[in-house]
Amino acid sequence: MDILGLGSKVDADFILDPQGQRKQIDVKIDDTKRSSQYIYYDGEDVSGTVQVKLKKNSKVEHQGIRLEFIGQIEMLNDRSTIHEFINLSKLLGFPGELTDSSSIDFNFGNVEKPYESYNGINIKLRYFLRLTIIKRFSNNVFERDICVQQLSQYPEINNSIKMEVGIEDCLHIEFEYNKSKYHLKDVVVGKIYFLLVRIKIKHMEIAIIKKENTGTGPNIYAENETIAKYEIMDGAPVRGESIPIRLFLAGYELTPTMKDVQRKFSVRYFLNLVLVDEEERRYFKQQEIFLWRKQDKDTDKTKQSAKQYAHYQRPTPANQSEENPTENSSVNEVLSSENNSDIPSD
Amino acid sequence: MSMQKAVDNSRSSNAGLSMDNQEKLLADALQNVRQHAFAMKRVLDQQSVMEGLKHAANMLGELRTSLLSPKNYYELHVVVVEELHHLELYLTDEFEHGRGSHDLYEVVQYAGNIVPRLYLLITIGHVYIRANELPRREVLRDLVEMCRGVQHPLRGLFLRNYLLQCVKSLLPDTEEENQEATKTGTILDSLDFILLNFSEMNKLWVRMQYQGHTRDLQRREQERRELRILVGTNLVRLSELECVNVERYKTIVLPKIMEQVVSCRDSIAQEYLMECIIQVFPDEYHLNTLNEFLKACRELSASVNIRNILISLIDRLTAYSTRDGSQQNIPENIQLFDIFSEQIAEVVKSRINMPPEDIVALQSALLNLSLKCYRDQFEYGNKVLENTRKIFDNIALDTQVQTGTPAAKELVKMLKIPIDCYDILDVLKLNHYKLVLQLLSYRERHTVCMYIINSILDKETIIPTAEQVTQLFELLLTLIIDQTDSPLETSRQTITNEDFVEEQNLVARLYNNFQAPNDPDQQYHIIKICQDTFKNGGLERMRFTYPPIIMQAYALTFRYKNIREQDEKWEKKCQKLFQLCNQLINTLTKLETNDLPLRLYLQGALAASEIGSENAETIAYEFFSQAYTLYEEQAGDTRAQSASLTLLIGTLEKVTCFAEENHSTLRQSLTQAATRLVKRPDQVRTLLLCTHLFWSAQRLNESTQKSEQVHDNEKVLACLKKATKLTTQIMDQSVQVQLYNELLNTYIYFFNQNLPDIDITLLNSLIEKLQNEMSKISSNENDEFIRNQIQKTFDYLRQQSQLEKFQGLQINN
Repeated sequence: MDILGLGSKVDADFILDPQGQRKQIDVKIDDTKRSSQYIYYDGEDVSGTVQVKLKKNSKVEHQGIRLEFIGQIEMLNDRSTIHEFINLSKLLGFPGELTDSSSIDFNFGNVEKPYESYNGINIKLRYFLRLTIIKRFSNNVFERDICVQQLSQYPEINNSIKMEVGIEDCLHIEFEYNKSKYHLKDVVVGKIYFLLVRIKIKHMEIAIIKKENTGTGPNIYAENETIAKYEIMDGAPVRGESIPIRLFLAGYELTPTMKDVQRKFSVRYFLNLVLVDEEERRYFKQQEIFLWRKQDKDTDKTKQSAKQYAHYQRPTPANQSEENPTENSSVNEVLSSENNSDIPSD
Repeated sequence: MSMQKAVDNSRSSNAGLSMDNQEKLLADALQNVRQHAFAMKRVLDQQSVMEGLKHAANMLGELRTSLLSPKNYYELHVVVVEELHHLELYLTDEFEHGRGSHDLYEVVQYAGNIVPRLYLLITIGHVYIRANELPRREVLRDLVEMCRGVQHPLRGLFLRNYLLQCVKSLLPDTEEENQEATKTGTILDSLDFILLNFSEMNKLWVRMQYQGHTRDLQRREQERRELRILVGTNLVRLSELECVNVERYKTIVLPKIMEQVVSCRDSIAQEYLMECIIQVFPDEYHLNTLNEFLKACRELSASVNIRNILISLIDRLTAYSTRDGSQQNIPENIQLFDIFSEQIAEVVKSRINMPPEDIVALQSALLNLSLKCYRDQFEYGNKVLENTRKIFDNIALDTQVQTGTPAAKELVKMLKIPIDCYDILDVLKLNHYKLVLQLLSYRERHTVCMYIINSILDKETIIPTAEQVTQLFELLLTLIIDQTDSPLETSRQTITNEDFVEEQNLVARLYNNFQAPNDPDQQYHIIKICQDTFKNGGLERMRFTYPPIIMQAYALTFRYKNIREQDEKWEKKCQKLFQLCNQLINTLTKLETNDLPLRLYLQGALAASEIGSENAETIAYEFFSQAYTLYEEQAGDTRAQSASLTLLIGTLEKVTCFAEENHSTLRQSLTQAATRLVKRPDQVRTLLLCTHLFWSAQRLNESTQKSEQVHDNEKVLACLKKATKLTTQIMDQSVQVQLYNELLNTYIYFFNQNLPDIDITLLNSLIEKLQNEMSKISSNENDEFIRNQIQKTFDYLRQQSQLEKFQGLQINN
C-alpha cells in the first residue's frame, strides 16, 4: 500500500492466542492456498494484541490507528457487492507519530457472530480483524481472518426419513435413513428394502450433494456439488433383499445447513440415492438432510466406537401394513431417472 | 446403426468370454494385484498404515471385475486373499506391540467402492476382535450384515467365503451361562452368524441359475457345481462347533438349514445341501432328527433326485450301526427301520412320477439297512422284499420288468444285497426273495442266479438239508430247466455254447456243496431231490448235472458201508442207489458220446466191488456188461474204441467181486475184443494189457469167499505170443521197434513175476531182435523218442544184469 514503492516501513501482527489454547482449523482459501485460522464461537470475546513493527530508524506519522472487527458476505461472481453485517470499531491510537515498534492490547467483548464462516463457490462469508493506520495519502491496512463456527443444540425433533419410491411395475424400493438431522461427525445409518425388482440393477450408491443458492431475484445462482459418492450395493438384488447403509460424515468437507443467510444465500445438503442399471440408466431420489454442528466434546468412548458398527433398527412398527410390503403397493413417489448411457433409447 | 453394432459386439464379448481372452484378463488382473500388493507392503514397511490401506483397497478393486469366469475369479481371489494376509499380519503385529490404531474400523468404511470396503472391513474386524479392540459379538454381527451390500452372486459368494475363513477361529463356542459371554458372544451368536451367512450365500448361489441367457444354462450349472463347496463350508463350520449338541442341532441348526434348503426351490442346491448335511454332521444327530430330515425330503423340488439323498443317509446310518462290528450303536428307542420304511413310503406316495428304478433303489437301501442293522430279524428284510413286489404288482400284475431297463438293473442290485451279506441259508429264509426274483426277465434272472451260485461256491457254504436244497432249486430254476422267456433258442442250449457250458458247470459244481455230513439218509434225500429236479432239465443239462449226482451216490454207498454196523438196511439202500445210478446213466447213453456213461458204469462196477455187499457181483456185472455194450456200439471210431477197451481192461483188473464164471466170460471177451481191434499196434498193446487179466486180476473164490489172483500161465503166454506174432507183421518200422520194446518190457515183467517158460534165453533173443531192428530204422527226430524208450529199457537191464537172476543176459549195445 506504499505508493512510493519503497517498501512498507511498517508491518503489523495479530497475536490472538498467546497461551496457545484456541483451536485452529485449516481453511481452504482457493484451489492452491490454505491457511490456518483460529476458531471462534458466537458471543465469545475477540481479544489479543496488535504488534506494530517499524523498520529500524524510521518513523511513521499517522492520523490515528483503528481496529475493526468485520463480518461480511462477498459475492464471488460480483466483487463489487460486499455486504457487511457486522462492523465493530475501536480506536487504538490517537493521531501522532510512531517511532518505535509497539504492542497494543485490544478486546471486543461478547461479540455477536450470528453466522458460520463459509467459503463457497459463489459466495464467501468471512470474519476478520482489520487494523488501519490512517495516513494522509494512503492508509496502512492489515487484515486477519478468523473462522467462526456455529454450534447448535441437539434438535428436539429428529425423525427418521422413510420413503417408498419406485417406477410403476419396474422397481419399488423403500428406504429409511435413521434421522433427518445429522451433525457433522454423525453417521447416516439406514436400509433399503427392495419390494419389486424387474430391472437389472448393476449397483447402487449414495451421494452427498451440496446445493448453494446465491443472489435474489433475477440474479440467482444455483450450484450443485457432489461432495461424496459412496457405493452401497454391488450387483442385482432380488425382491425381499434389504441392503444396509452406513455412511460416516466426518470424513467429508461439510458445513452446517445454512438457510437464507442475510437473504443472500443458502447452503443445503441432500442425500441422493442412485440406482444404476445395466444399461447405465440412473434412477435416483434426493432427500434433504439438515446438517448441524455439534459441540466438540469428548463423548463417551464406547458410544463413539459403537457407531462404527451401528445398524438401522426399524422402529417398532406403528402400522403393520408396512411390515408386509406387497408388490402391488402403490408407489408414493416416483424415482427420477436419467439416461447416461450412449445406447439409443429407442 | 453402427452404434448399435458396437454395442452388440461389446455385449457378446462380455457373454462369450473366449478362453484366450479369459487367460489374458486373469493375467492382467493378477499383474495389477501384484503391483498394488508390492506397493502396499513397501509402505507398510515404512509404518504408513493409511497408505497401506489405500494400496490394499486398490488391490481389492481388482475383485470388482465381472469379466472373469468363476474358475478364474477363484484364482484371482486366492492371490488377493494371500496378499491381504500381509496386511492382517502387519496390523496384528502393531497391536501386539501396543501401537495399533484404534479407528481403522471406521476409516476403512470411507472406501468408496463396496467390494474393497467390505474386504478391508472384514480384515480389520478380524484383527480388532483378536486384539480385543472391539466387541466380538457386535463386530461379527456387523460383518455378516454388511455383506448384504454385495448382491452380485460370484463376488458375494467369494466375499462371504472370505468372511467365513477369517472368523473361523473367532466364533464364540461357549455356553450361555458364562458371565463373560455377553461381551464375547455365545454359541448362539455363532449359530446366528453362520446360519445367516449360509442362507445369504445359498441365495446368491441359487441366483446364478437365473442370470444370463438360457442357452448358457448348462455352462452355468457346471459353474455352479464348481462353486458349491463355498456354500457347503458354512455347514462344515457348523459341524465343527463344539457347543452344537444334539439338542441344538435339532432345535436350531437343522430347522434353519432346512428352511433355507426347502424355500430356495432349486434342485442343484437342494441335492447338494442335503448330501452335505448327511456327510458333515455326526451320525447321532441324524439318528435323532430322522423324522425332521425325512419330512423335509418330501418338500424338496420335484426334480431333485431324492433317491440319492435318502440312500446316502441310509447308507451312512447303516455303516454307523455296523461300525466296529457291533450292532449296539443304534439307540433302542429309535426304530430306524420303521421310520425309514414309513418315510420312504410317504416319499414314494408324494411323488407320483418317481421312476420305478428310483423306488427300487430306495427299497434296496432299506433292505441293506434292515439286513445289516437287524441281522437277526428276517421279517424286516422280508417286508422290504414284499413291498417291492407289491409296488410292481400295483403297476401291473404278473408282468416282468423288461430286460435292460434301469429298473431291472436296480432290482438285480437289490437282489445281490442279501447274497452279499448273508450266506445262502439265511437268504432262503427270506421267502419273498423268490417273488422279487420272478419279477425279472430271463437275462437278469440269469445274472442273479449265477451270482448266487458263485457266492455259494466262493464262500463254500454247505447246504445240509433236502428242504434247503429244494428251496435253493426254486430260486435257481432259471438255470435248471428251460425257460419260456429265454431269448436263446433251445437249440443253442448245448455243449457248443460256451456260456451254457460255463453255467451248467457251475450248477454241477454247486452239487458238491450239498452235504449232510452226519446224516446219510438226508444225503439220500438230497440225491433224490436233485434227480427229481434235474430230470426236467433236458439231456443237455443232464450231461453236466447227472455225473455229480452219480458220483455222490457212489460216495454215499461207501458211507453206508462204513456205518453198516448201525444200519442194517444198508445193503438195501446201496442197492437202491445203484439202481438209481443205473437209471441215470442209462439216460445219459442217449447222448452222442458213449464215453461218459461208459466211464460212469465202470465207476459203478468198481464201487459195487468195493462195497462187497451180497449182490455186489450182480450189480457189478450188470454195470460192467453195460459198459461193454457201450464199447461195442462205438465201432467205427477206432481210437475211442481202443481207449475204451483200455478202460475196461483196467477196471476188470481192479474189480474183485466176480466169481470165476463171470470173470472168465469177461476176460475172454476183452481179449477177443483186443484181437478184433482194427489197427495192429492197438491189437498188440491191448493184448499186452490183457496179459494182466490172466495174471494179477482177482476173482472170487466161491468156496472161501476170498479173492485170489488168476495166474493162468498159459493164457499169459498165449497172449504174449500172439502179440509177438502181430508185431512181426507191422510194416512201419519205427512203430514196430517201439512195440518190440514194449513187448520186451512185458516179458521182463513176467520174468520178474517168475512166469515159467520165460527165461534168459528168451529175453536174449528178444533183445537181439530189438537191437537188429533198431539199427534199421533211420535216425530222424521222430524216432528220438523211441530211442530214448529203448535206451531206458537197456539201462534197466544193465542194472539188473548184476543180479543172479539175470545171469547170462547179453546186451551188446
